[in-house]
Amino acid sequence: MVNISAARLWLGGALLSGMVGCAGLPVPRIDDLNLAPRVELTSIAFFPQDDHQCGPAALATVLNAAGAVVTPEALVAQVYLPARQGSLQLELLAATRRHARVPYVLEPQLDVVLHEVAGGHPVLVLQNLGLAWLPVWHYAVVVGFDLPQRELILRSGREPRVVVDIAEFERSWARAQHWALVITPLEQVPATADETRYLGAIAELETQQHFAAAALAYTAALARWPDSMAARFGLGNSRYGLGEFAQAEQIYRALLAQQPKLGAAWNNLAMSLLEQQRWDDAQDAAQHALSLGDTSEEAARTTLAEIRARRSGR
Amino acid sequence: MNQLPKRISTGVALMLASFLFAGVIVPAAQAQMIGTDALLRAQQLQQERAAVATALERGDVRDALLKYGVEPAQVQARVDSLSADEVHTLAQNIEQLPSAGDDPLGLLFIIFVILLVTDILGLTHVFPFVNHKHR
Repeated sequence: MVNISAARLWLGGALLSGMVGCAGLPVPRIDDLNLAPRVELTSIAFFPQDDHQCGPAALATVLNAAGAVVTPEALVAQVYLPARQGSLQLELLAATRRHARVPYVLEPQLDVVLHEVAGGHPVLVLQNLGLAWLPVWHYAVVVGFDLPQRELILRSGREPRVVVDIAEFERSWARAQHWALVITPLEQVPATADETRYLGAIAELETQQHFAAAALAYTAALARWPDSMAARFGLGNSRYGLGEFAQAEQIYRALLAQQPKLGAAWNNLAMSLLEQQRWDDAQDAAQHALSLGDTSEEAARTTLAEIRARRSGR
Repeated sequence: MNQLPKRISTGVALMLASFLFAGVIVPAAQAQMIGTDALLRAQQLQQERAAVATALERGDVRDALLKYGVEPAQVQARVDSLSADEVHTLAQNIEQLPSAGDDPLGLLFIIFVILLVTDILGLTHVFPFVNHKHR
Protein backbone atom coordinates (compact mmCIF):
# COMPACT_ATOMS: atom_id res chain seq x y z
CA MET A 1 0.00 0.00 0.00
CA VAL A 2 2.78 2.41 0.90
CA ASN A 3 4.38 1.65 -2.41
CA ILE A 4 1.29 2.55 -4.38
CA SER A 5 0.82 5.85 -2.57
CA ALA A 6 4.39 6.78 -3.35
CA ALA A 7 3.79 5.85 -6.96
CA ARG A 8 0.68 8.03 -7.05
CA LEU A 9 2.60 11.00 -5.74
CA TRP A 10 5.40 10.40 -8.19
CA LEU A 11 3.08 10.06 -11.16
CA GLY A 12 1.15 13.15 -10.15
CA GLY A 13 4.37 15.13 -10.00
CA ALA A 14 5.41 13.81 -13.38
CA LEU A 15 2.10 14.84 -14.86
CA LEU A 16 2.38 18.38 -13.51
CA SER A 17 5.91 18.96 -14.72
CA GLY A 18 4.97 17.48 -18.10
CA MET A 19 2.22 20.05 -18.42
CA VAL A 20 4.45 22.96 -17.52
CA GLY A 21 6.90 21.79 -20.18
CA CYS A 22 4.16 21.70 -22.81
CA ALA A 23 3.02 25.24 -22.07
CA GLY A 24 6.42 26.75 -22.86
CA LEU A 25 6.54 28.76 -26.07
CA PRO A 26 8.60 27.35 -28.90
CA VAL A 27 11.41 29.66 -29.90
CA PRO A 28 11.22 30.37 -33.64
CA ARG A 29 14.23 28.76 -35.28
CA ILE A 30 14.88 30.46 -38.57
CA ASP A 31 18.65 30.38 -38.96
CA ASP A 32 19.30 26.81 -40.06
CA LEU A 33 16.42 26.58 -42.55
CA ASN A 34 17.11 25.57 -46.10
CA LEU A 35 15.48 28.70 -47.53
CA ALA A 36 16.37 31.63 -49.76
CA PRO A 37 17.27 34.59 -47.53
CA ARG A 38 14.65 36.85 -49.12
CA VAL A 39 11.32 35.99 -50.71
CA GLU A 40 8.46 38.29 -51.62
CA LEU A 41 5.32 37.30 -53.52
CA THR A 42 4.80 40.70 -55.15
CA SER A 43 2.06 39.53 -57.53
CA ILE A 44 -0.44 38.70 -54.76
CA ALA A 45 -3.39 41.08 -55.16
CA PHE A 46 -4.26 43.27 -52.17
CA PHE A 47 -7.79 43.80 -50.84
CA PRO A 48 -7.91 46.59 -48.23
CA GLN A 49 -10.31 45.98 -45.35
CA ASP A 50 -13.37 48.02 -44.40
CA ASP A 51 -13.98 48.83 -40.73
CA HIS A 52 -13.39 45.65 -38.77
CA GLN A 53 -13.58 43.32 -41.71
CA CYS A 54 -10.03 42.00 -41.83
CA GLY A 55 -11.35 38.41 -42.13
CA PRO A 56 -13.11 38.87 -45.49
CA ALA A 57 -10.19 40.97 -46.84
CA ALA A 58 -7.50 38.47 -45.84
CA LEU A 59 -9.55 35.52 -47.08
CA ALA A 60 -10.19 37.27 -50.42
CA THR A 61 -6.43 37.78 -50.75
CA VAL A 62 -5.57 34.08 -50.35
CA LEU A 63 -8.61 32.80 -52.30
CA ASN A 64 -7.77 34.98 -55.31
CA ALA A 65 -4.15 33.84 -55.12
CA ALA A 66 -5.53 30.29 -55.30
CA GLY A 67 -7.48 31.11 -58.46
CA ALA A 68 -10.93 31.63 -56.92
CA VAL A 69 -12.26 35.00 -58.06
CA VAL A 70 -14.09 36.63 -55.16
CA THR A 71 -14.29 40.07 -53.51
CA PRO A 72 -14.18 40.81 -49.77
CA GLU A 73 -17.69 42.27 -50.09
CA ALA A 74 -19.01 38.94 -51.34
CA LEU A 75 -17.31 37.18 -48.40
CA VAL A 76 -18.72 39.48 -45.72
CA ALA A 77 -22.06 37.64 -45.63
CA GLN A 78 -20.23 34.31 -45.41
CA VAL A 79 -17.65 34.98 -42.72
CA TYR A 80 -18.36 38.27 -40.94
CA LEU A 81 -20.23 38.36 -37.62
CA PRO A 82 -21.37 41.98 -37.08
CA ALA A 83 -22.13 41.43 -33.38
CA ARG A 84 -18.58 40.19 -32.77
CA GLN A 85 -16.99 42.58 -35.25
CA GLY A 86 -14.95 39.74 -36.58
CA SER A 87 -14.77 36.36 -38.29
CA LEU A 88 -14.37 32.90 -36.81
CA GLN A 89 -11.57 30.63 -38.00
CA LEU A 90 -13.98 27.77 -38.69
CA GLU A 91 -16.06 30.02 -40.90
CA LEU A 92 -13.00 30.90 -42.95
CA LEU A 93 -12.51 27.17 -43.57
CA ALA A 94 -16.18 26.70 -44.49
CA ALA A 95 -16.16 29.72 -46.84
CA THR A 96 -13.04 28.35 -48.55
CA ARG A 97 -14.95 25.14 -49.33
CA ARG A 98 -17.90 27.15 -50.63
CA HIS A 99 -15.46 28.57 -53.16
CA ALA A 100 -14.32 25.05 -54.07
CA ARG A 101 -10.82 25.30 -52.61
CA VAL A 102 -9.07 23.13 -50.02
CA PRO A 103 -8.44 24.91 -46.68
CA TYR A 104 -5.33 23.51 -45.00
CA VAL A 105 -4.43 24.61 -41.46
CA LEU A 106 -0.63 24.58 -41.08
CA GLU A 107 1.46 23.10 -38.30
CA PRO A 108 1.84 25.88 -35.70
CA GLN A 109 5.46 26.75 -36.46
CA LEU A 110 6.98 29.80 -38.09
CA ASP A 111 9.36 27.78 -40.28
CA VAL A 112 6.32 26.03 -41.81
CA VAL A 113 4.83 29.42 -42.74
CA LEU A 114 8.15 30.47 -44.29
CA HIS A 115 8.36 27.25 -46.32
CA GLU A 116 4.88 27.84 -47.74
CA VAL A 117 5.71 31.44 -48.70
CA ALA A 118 8.95 30.24 -50.30
CA GLY A 119 6.83 27.71 -52.21
CA GLY A 120 4.78 30.57 -53.65
CA HIS A 121 1.77 30.32 -51.33
CA PRO A 122 0.67 33.33 -49.25
CA VAL A 123 -0.36 32.32 -45.72
CA LEU A 124 -3.34 33.72 -43.83
CA VAL A 125 -2.46 34.17 -40.14
CA LEU A 126 -4.42 35.07 -37.04
CA GLN A 127 -2.76 37.51 -34.67
CA ASN A 128 -3.69 38.83 -31.26
CA LEU A 129 -2.42 42.41 -31.38
CA GLY A 130 -3.64 43.06 -27.84
CA LEU A 131 -2.92 41.15 -24.68
CA ALA A 132 -3.78 37.61 -23.69
CA TRP A 133 -6.52 38.91 -21.34
CA LEU A 134 -7.60 41.80 -23.59
CA PRO A 135 -7.39 40.34 -27.08
CA VAL A 136 -7.46 42.34 -30.30
CA TRP A 137 -7.85 39.74 -33.02
CA HIS A 138 -6.56 40.43 -36.50
CA TYR A 139 -6.19 38.46 -39.72
CA ALA A 140 -3.30 39.25 -42.06
CA VAL A 141 -1.54 37.54 -44.96
CA VAL A 142 2.19 36.72 -44.95
CA VAL A 143 3.57 37.33 -48.46
CA GLY A 144 7.31 37.52 -47.87
CA PHE A 145 10.29 37.48 -45.53
CA ASP A 146 13.80 38.84 -45.20
CA LEU A 147 15.79 36.50 -42.97
CA PRO A 148 19.01 38.59 -42.65
CA GLN A 149 16.88 41.57 -41.57
CA ARG A 150 14.64 39.27 -39.46
CA GLU A 151 11.52 40.71 -41.05
CA LEU A 152 8.19 39.46 -42.38
CA ILE A 153 6.18 41.17 -45.12
CA LEU A 154 2.39 41.22 -44.70
CA ARG A 155 -0.73 42.40 -46.45
CA SER A 156 -2.56 43.71 -43.41
CA GLY A 157 -5.66 45.83 -42.83
CA ARG A 158 -5.49 48.86 -45.10
CA GLU A 159 -1.76 48.43 -45.73
CA PRO A 160 -0.67 46.59 -48.87
CA ARG A 161 2.86 46.09 -47.53
CA VAL A 162 3.66 46.02 -43.85
CA VAL A 163 7.14 45.04 -42.68
CA VAL A 164 7.24 43.56 -39.18
CA ASP A 165 9.99 42.27 -36.95
CA ILE A 166 9.87 38.45 -36.84
CA ALA A 167 10.13 38.23 -33.05
CA GLU A 168 7.36 40.79 -32.64
CA PHE A 169 5.15 38.92 -35.09
CA GLU A 170 5.87 35.64 -33.30
CA ARG A 171 4.57 37.09 -30.02
CA SER A 172 1.27 38.29 -31.51
CA TRP A 173 0.90 35.03 -33.44
CA ALA A 174 1.62 32.92 -30.35
CA ARG A 175 -1.22 34.71 -28.53
CA ALA A 176 -3.47 33.34 -31.31
CA GLN A 177 -2.16 29.76 -30.86
CA HIS A 178 -0.01 30.06 -34.00
CA TRP A 179 -3.05 29.68 -36.27
CA ALA A 180 -2.18 29.75 -39.97
CA LEU A 181 -4.14 28.78 -43.08
CA VAL A 182 -2.89 28.08 -46.59
CA ILE A 183 -5.09 27.78 -49.68
CA THR A 184 -3.32 26.59 -52.81
CA PRO A 185 -4.53 26.44 -56.41
CA LEU A 186 -6.22 23.04 -56.85
CA GLU A 187 -3.36 21.79 -59.03
CA GLN A 188 -0.84 22.39 -56.22
CA VAL A 189 -0.27 20.74 -52.85
CA PRO A 190 0.97 22.92 -49.94
CA ALA A 191 4.75 22.58 -49.58
CA THR A 192 4.50 21.31 -45.99
CA ALA A 193 1.30 19.25 -46.33
CA ASP A 194 0.96 16.07 -44.29
CA GLU A 195 -0.46 13.29 -46.47
CA THR A 196 -3.29 12.13 -44.23
CA ARG A 197 -4.32 15.58 -43.03
CA TYR A 198 -4.32 17.06 -46.52
CA LEU A 199 -6.36 14.18 -47.94
CA GLY A 200 -8.79 14.66 -45.07
CA ALA A 201 -9.14 18.30 -46.11
CA ILE A 202 -9.91 17.29 -49.71
CA ALA A 203 -12.35 14.63 -48.48
CA GLU A 204 -14.42 17.44 -46.89
CA LEU A 205 -14.73 19.00 -50.33
CA GLU A 206 -15.82 15.63 -51.72
CA THR A 207 -18.43 15.28 -48.95
CA GLN A 208 -19.85 18.66 -49.95
CA GLN A 209 -20.09 17.42 -53.55
CA HIS A 210 -17.50 19.77 -55.08
CA PHE A 211 -16.47 16.82 -57.23
CA ALA A 212 -14.67 18.69 -60.04
CA ALA A 213 -12.49 20.59 -57.56
CA ALA A 214 -11.90 17.46 -55.48
CA ALA A 215 -10.82 15.53 -58.59
CA LEU A 216 -8.18 18.19 -59.38
CA ALA A 217 -6.94 18.25 -55.79
CA TYR A 218 -6.77 14.44 -55.57
CA THR A 219 -4.85 14.34 -58.86
CA ALA A 220 -2.29 16.79 -57.46
CA ALA A 221 -2.09 14.75 -54.25
CA LEU A 222 -1.41 11.59 -56.28
CA ALA A 223 1.45 13.36 -58.05
CA ARG A 224 2.95 14.22 -54.62
CA TRP A 225 2.22 10.81 -53.02
CA PRO A 226 1.98 8.27 -55.87
CA ASP A 227 1.28 5.37 -53.47
CA SER A 228 -1.51 7.09 -51.58
CA MET A 229 -4.44 4.73 -51.32
CA ALA A 230 -6.84 7.46 -50.13
CA ALA A 231 -5.89 9.87 -52.94
CA ARG A 232 -6.65 7.25 -55.60
CA PHE A 233 -9.84 6.19 -53.85
CA GLY A 234 -10.93 9.83 -53.58
CA LEU A 235 -10.19 10.43 -57.26
CA GLY A 236 -12.41 7.47 -58.10
CA ASN A 237 -15.18 8.84 -55.89
CA SER A 238 -14.90 12.28 -57.52
CA ARG A 239 -15.17 10.77 -61.02
CA TYR A 240 -18.20 8.80 -59.86
CA GLY A 241 -19.70 12.00 -58.42
CA LEU A 242 -19.18 13.70 -61.79
CA GLY A 243 -21.07 10.85 -63.46
CA GLU A 244 -17.91 9.54 -65.18
CA PHE A 245 -18.53 5.95 -64.20
CA ALA A 246 -16.16 4.26 -66.67
CA GLN A 247 -13.25 6.42 -65.47
CA ALA A 248 -14.20 5.74 -61.86
CA GLU A 249 -14.16 2.01 -62.63
CA GLN A 250 -10.64 2.23 -64.10
CA ILE A 251 -9.35 4.08 -61.03
CA TYR A 252 -10.86 1.60 -58.55
CA ARG A 253 -9.40 -1.29 -60.59
CA ALA A 254 -5.94 0.31 -60.54
CA LEU A 255 -6.25 0.75 -56.77
CA LEU A 256 -7.39 -2.85 -56.27
CA ALA A 257 -4.44 -4.13 -58.29
CA GLN A 258 -2.28 -2.71 -55.47
CA GLN A 259 -4.69 -3.20 -52.56
CA PRO A 260 -6.79 -6.28 -53.35
CA LYS A 261 -8.21 -6.43 -49.81
CA LEU A 262 -9.65 -2.92 -49.73
CA GLY A 263 -13.35 -3.66 -49.29
CA ALA A 264 -14.36 -0.01 -49.73
CA ALA A 265 -12.83 0.03 -53.23
CA TRP A 266 -14.62 -3.22 -54.18
CA ASN A 267 -17.88 -1.70 -53.00
CA ASN A 268 -17.43 1.54 -54.92
CA LEU A 269 -16.28 -0.43 -57.98
CA ALA A 270 -19.57 -2.35 -57.76
CA MET A 271 -21.42 0.97 -57.66
CA SER A 272 -19.67 2.32 -60.76
CA LEU A 273 -20.40 -0.97 -62.60
CA LEU A 274 -24.02 -0.79 -61.49
CA GLU A 275 -24.32 2.71 -62.99
CA GLN A 276 -23.07 1.22 -66.27
CA GLN A 277 -25.76 -1.48 -65.93
CA ARG A 278 -23.15 -4.24 -65.99
CA TRP A 279 -25.16 -6.33 -63.57
CA ASP A 280 -22.99 -9.47 -63.40
CA ASP A 281 -19.72 -7.57 -62.91
CA ALA A 282 -21.37 -5.31 -60.34
CA GLN A 283 -22.73 -8.27 -58.42
CA ASP A 284 -19.33 -10.02 -58.41
CA ALA A 285 -17.59 -6.92 -57.09
CA ALA A 286 -20.21 -6.40 -54.36
CA GLN A 287 -19.97 -10.07 -53.34
CA HIS A 288 -16.20 -9.68 -53.11
CA ALA A 289 -16.58 -6.60 -50.86
CA LEU A 290 -18.97 -8.54 -48.67
CA SER A 291 -16.65 -11.54 -48.39
CA LEU A 292 -13.79 -9.39 -47.09
CA GLY A 293 -15.85 -8.60 -44.01
CA ASP A 294 -14.10 -5.34 -43.13
CA THR A 295 -15.68 -2.00 -42.18
CA SER A 296 -17.35 -1.72 -45.58
CA GLU A 297 -19.40 -4.89 -45.08
CA GLU A 298 -22.63 -3.07 -44.30
CA ALA A 299 -22.36 -0.78 -47.33
CA ALA A 300 -21.64 -3.82 -49.51
CA ARG A 301 -24.81 -5.50 -48.29
CA THR A 302 -26.86 -2.42 -49.29
CA THR A 303 -25.07 -2.24 -52.63
CA LEU A 304 -25.85 -5.86 -53.36
CA ALA A 305 -29.53 -5.34 -52.57
CA GLU A 306 -29.56 -2.27 -54.81
CA ILE A 307 -27.99 -4.23 -57.69
CA ARG A 308 -30.57 -7.01 -57.38
CA ALA A 309 -33.43 -4.51 -57.21
CA ARG A 310 -32.32 -2.53 -60.24
CA ARG A 311 -31.48 -5.63 -62.24
CA SER A 312 -34.99 -6.95 -61.85
CA GLY A 313 -36.33 -3.52 -62.75
CA ARG A 314 -37.57 -3.04 -59.16
CA MET B 1 -56.88 25.36 -22.49
CA ASN B 2 -57.05 21.76 -23.43
CA GLN B 3 -57.71 22.32 -27.12
CA LEU B 4 -54.61 24.31 -28.02
CA PRO B 5 -51.89 21.99 -26.70
CA LYS B 6 -53.61 19.10 -28.42
CA ARG B 7 -53.50 20.87 -31.75
CA ILE B 8 -49.88 21.79 -31.19
CA SER B 9 -48.94 18.25 -30.31
CA THR B 10 -50.67 17.01 -33.45
CA GLY B 11 -48.62 19.51 -35.42
CA VAL B 12 -45.43 18.39 -33.71
CA ALA B 13 -46.27 14.75 -34.40
CA LEU B 14 -46.88 15.53 -38.06
CA MET B 15 -43.61 17.43 -38.27
CA LEU B 16 -41.71 14.60 -36.58
CA ALA B 17 -43.31 12.11 -38.93
CA SER B 18 -42.21 14.14 -41.95
CA PHE B 19 -38.67 14.37 -40.55
CA LEU B 20 -38.61 10.63 -40.02
CA PHE B 21 -39.95 10.05 -43.49
CA ALA B 22 -37.32 12.34 -45.05
CA GLY B 23 -34.65 10.73 -42.87
CA VAL B 24 -35.46 7.29 -44.17
CA ILE B 25 -35.77 8.21 -47.83
CA VAL B 26 -32.88 10.61 -48.45
CA PRO B 27 -29.76 8.75 -47.22
CA ALA B 28 -30.91 5.43 -48.68
CA ALA B 29 -30.36 6.79 -52.19
CA GLN B 30 -26.61 7.27 -51.66
CA ALA B 31 -25.79 5.02 -48.76
CA GLN B 32 -23.88 2.48 -50.86
CA MET B 33 -20.98 4.71 -51.95
CA ILE B 34 -18.23 4.85 -49.32
CA GLY B 35 -16.73 8.34 -48.95
CA THR B 36 -13.01 9.05 -48.69
CA ASP B 37 -13.55 10.51 -45.20
CA ALA B 38 -14.82 7.11 -44.00
CA LEU B 39 -11.83 5.34 -45.56
CA LEU B 40 -9.44 7.78 -43.86
CA ARG B 41 -11.13 7.29 -40.49
CA ALA B 42 -10.82 3.51 -40.78
CA GLN B 43 -7.15 3.85 -41.80
CA GLN B 44 -6.39 6.17 -38.91
CA LEU B 45 -8.01 3.85 -36.37
CA GLN B 46 -5.95 0.95 -37.68
CA GLN B 47 -2.71 2.94 -37.42
CA GLU B 48 -3.53 4.12 -33.92
CA ARG B 49 -4.29 0.63 -32.68
CA ALA B 50 -0.93 -0.47 -34.12
CA ALA B 51 0.86 2.44 -32.41
CA VAL B 52 -0.67 1.52 -29.04
CA ALA B 53 0.27 -2.15 -29.53
CA THR B 54 3.86 -1.21 -30.41
CA ALA B 55 4.15 1.00 -27.35
CA LEU B 56 2.88 -1.78 -25.10
CA GLU B 57 5.54 -4.11 -26.50
CA ARG B 58 8.36 -1.78 -25.48
CA GLY B 59 10.60 -3.16 -22.76
CA ASP B 60 10.55 -0.09 -20.52
CA VAL B 61 6.78 0.28 -20.81
CA ARG B 62 6.27 -3.42 -20.00
CA ASP B 63 8.57 -3.22 -16.98
CA ALA B 64 6.85 -0.11 -15.69
CA LEU B 65 3.40 -1.66 -16.11
CA LEU B 66 4.51 -4.90 -14.44
CA LYS B 67 5.86 -2.86 -11.53
CA TYR B 68 2.32 -1.63 -10.92
CA GLY B 69 0.98 -5.17 -11.16
CA VAL B 70 -0.53 -4.80 -14.59
CA GLU B 71 -0.05 -7.51 -17.20
CA PRO B 72 0.68 -5.82 -20.58
CA ALA B 73 -1.13 -8.58 -22.47
CA GLN B 74 -4.26 -7.82 -20.46
CA VAL B 75 -3.95 -4.14 -21.29
CA GLN B 76 -3.64 -4.97 -24.99
CA ALA B 77 -6.79 -7.08 -24.85
CA ARG B 78 -8.64 -4.15 -23.30
CA VAL B 79 -7.20 -1.69 -25.81
CA ASP B 80 -8.59 -3.86 -28.61
CA SER B 81 -12.08 -3.25 -27.32
CA LEU B 82 -11.73 0.52 -26.91
CA SER B 83 -13.86 2.79 -29.09
CA ALA B 84 -12.33 4.83 -31.91
CA ASP B 85 -12.31 8.00 -29.78
CA GLU B 86 -10.65 6.27 -26.85
CA VAL B 87 -7.94 4.74 -29.03
CA HIS B 88 -7.37 8.16 -30.55
CA THR B 89 -6.84 9.76 -27.13
CA LEU B 90 -4.48 7.00 -26.04
CA ALA B 91 -2.53 7.07 -29.34
CA GLN B 92 -2.08 10.83 -29.17
CA ASN B 93 -0.52 10.50 -25.74
CA ILE B 94 1.64 7.63 -26.89
CA GLU B 95 2.91 9.80 -29.76
CA GLN B 96 4.58 11.93 -27.12
CA LEU B 97 6.35 8.91 -25.67
CA PRO B 98 10.09 9.62 -25.78
CA SER B 99 12.45 7.07 -27.26
CA ALA B 100 13.63 4.47 -24.74
CA GLY B 101 15.78 5.74 -21.88
CA ASP B 102 15.53 9.33 -23.08
CA ASP B 103 13.26 11.07 -20.69
CA PRO B 104 11.93 9.34 -17.58
CA LEU B 105 9.31 12.05 -17.03
CA GLY B 106 7.74 11.50 -20.45
CA LEU B 107 7.71 7.76 -19.92
CA LEU B 108 6.03 8.19 -16.56
CA PHE B 109 3.44 10.39 -18.17
CA ILE B 110 2.47 7.75 -20.70
CA ILE B 111 2.38 5.05 -18.03
CA PHE B 112 0.09 7.37 -16.11
CA VAL B 113 -2.23 7.61 -19.10
CA ILE B 114 -2.23 3.87 -19.72
CA LEU B 115 -2.96 3.17 -16.07
CA LEU B 116 -5.65 5.85 -16.03
CA VAL B 117 -7.39 4.28 -19.02
CA THR B 118 -7.15 0.80 -17.59
CA ASP B 119 -8.37 2.15 -14.25
CA ILE B 120 -11.44 3.57 -15.94
CA LEU B 121 -11.99 0.22 -17.59
CA GLY B 122 -11.85 -1.39 -14.17
CA LEU B 123 -8.79 -3.45 -14.96
CA THR B 124 -6.54 -1.79 -12.40
CA HIS B 125 -7.17 0.26 -9.28
CA VAL B 126 -4.19 2.56 -9.02
CA PHE B 127 -5.94 5.92 -8.84
CA PRO B 128 -8.40 6.72 -6.08
CA PHE B 129 -10.17 9.43 -8.09
CA VAL B 130 -11.49 6.99 -10.69
CA ASN B 131 -14.96 5.77 -9.75
CA HIS B 132 -15.51 2.06 -10.01
CA LYS B 133 -19.11 1.05 -10.38
CA HIS B 134 -18.79 -2.33 -8.71
CA ARG B 135 -16.72 -1.29 -5.73
